[in-house]
Amino acid sequence: MSVLRPLDKLPSLNTATILLVGTEDALLQQLVDSMLKEDCTSELKVHLAKSLPLPSSVNPPRIDLIVFVVNLHSKYSLQNTEESLHHVDASFFLGKVCFLATGAGRESHCSIHQHTVVKLVHTYQSPLLYCDLEVEGFQATMAQRLVRMLQMCDGHVPGVSALNLLSLLRSSEGPSLEDM
Amino acid sequence: MNQQDLDPDSTTDVGDVTNTEEELIRECEEMWKDMEECQNKLSLTGTETLTDLNAKLSLLIMQVKCLTAELSQWQKKTPEIIPLTEDVLLTLGKEEFQKLRHDLEMVLSTMESKNEKLKEDLEREQRWLDEQQQIMESLNVLHNELKNKVETFSESRVFNELKTKLLNVKEYKEKLLITLGEFLEDHFPLPDGSVKKKKILINRLFDVPHDPYVKITDSFWPPYVELILRNGIALRHPEDPTRIRLEAFHQ
Repeated sequence: MSVLRPLDKLPSLNTATILLVGTEDALLQQLVDSMLKEDCTSELKVHLAKSLPLPSSVNPPRIDLIVFVVNLHSKYSLQNTEESLHHVDASFFLGKVCFLATGAGRESHCSIHQHTVVKLVHTYQSPLLYCDLEVEGFQATMAQRLVRMLQMCDGHVPGVSALNLLSLLRSSEGPSLEDM
Repeated sequence: MNQQDLDPDSTTDVGDVTNTEEELIRECEEMWKDMEECQNKLSLTGTETLTDLNAKLSLLIMQVKCLTAELSQWQKKTPEIIPLTEDVLLTLGKEEFQKLRHDLEMVLSTMESKNEKLKEDLEREQRWLDEQQQIMESLNVLHNELKNKVETFSESRVFNELKTKLLNVKEYKEKLLITLGEFLEDHFPLPDGSVKKKKILINRLFDVPHDPYVKITDSFWPPYVELILRNGIALRHPEDPTRIRLEAFHQ
């Protein structure tokens, strides 16, 4: 399967699946560990991938939330993310995709300008979260946040759908300035 | 779409306790079947990937469509509850009570710790208050003592002191005046009023024109002599300081 589709499989009972796509292995692994420590009403399954499309050997269950992790220190990470985005079905972007930018704390090391990422995120109409994954405390908070988002995206929170969440997380600044 | 939380209609009126579980399972099965149908329909739709150019617009359009669909779904749906049989009610009730108990226990422990803290605070404040009161008592005693002293002082003693001072000063004045009088008597004796000096001088001038000098005796009052000398009415004898003569005005 070359393109990820959100609704191509039936949901597994009482499980929530999240897919983390990014080049920073070590950081992602730490994030995964923090997330698994969080208590969640349903069983939590985390998949890691360096890029999309997923290799054909891997056959994951239905994915509820994709998080693209962009490291502001490396241009390669941004490139990788942009290429992976082409392998995601359009209907995923109705609230089931989220971008996470890490490394904003150390301004001197940033080789990607924040504006670039913000523009990308606005094109795909998805929420952007900032987090310095190298810092323990921030990582734990982000893990908690992602778990909560995941619970809403897979329907475990009654009355809120992924699309509702997207509308709520929309940033207030108008995208018109970025598009110019 | 993905609504496992949606509860089914309670169309049947179940009175039998043992059937509740079966009933619930049946409803779940029905929901699962519905989902499979939907899934089949969905798999018939094709996939669509986005390029950077058309992403924004097509996503926004899709969002509009989905939101309107969701909105109509919400408006159509009526809230449904699970069949309220005894079993279900009991379980629900137990859960609620457990939660309540947990919350109340937390509240209780918080209140107890707060109480203890307040007691400690109270004791501390009480001790402080006692100390302050002691200080105030001792200060009051001191104040009273000082007040009394000030009163007695200002009433009698100052008055008496002033009186004695006044008497002393008056005595001194008297003494000074007496001494002054004695001094004056000694050095400046009062003139003898019976003898007229001027007559003597004039008579001498005319009686003995070539020796108009009069010897100064003790009966002459020295300041008077000085006076007439200074004003040029009389003159001293050039050789004898004890003699004076009247100025010859008519010559």
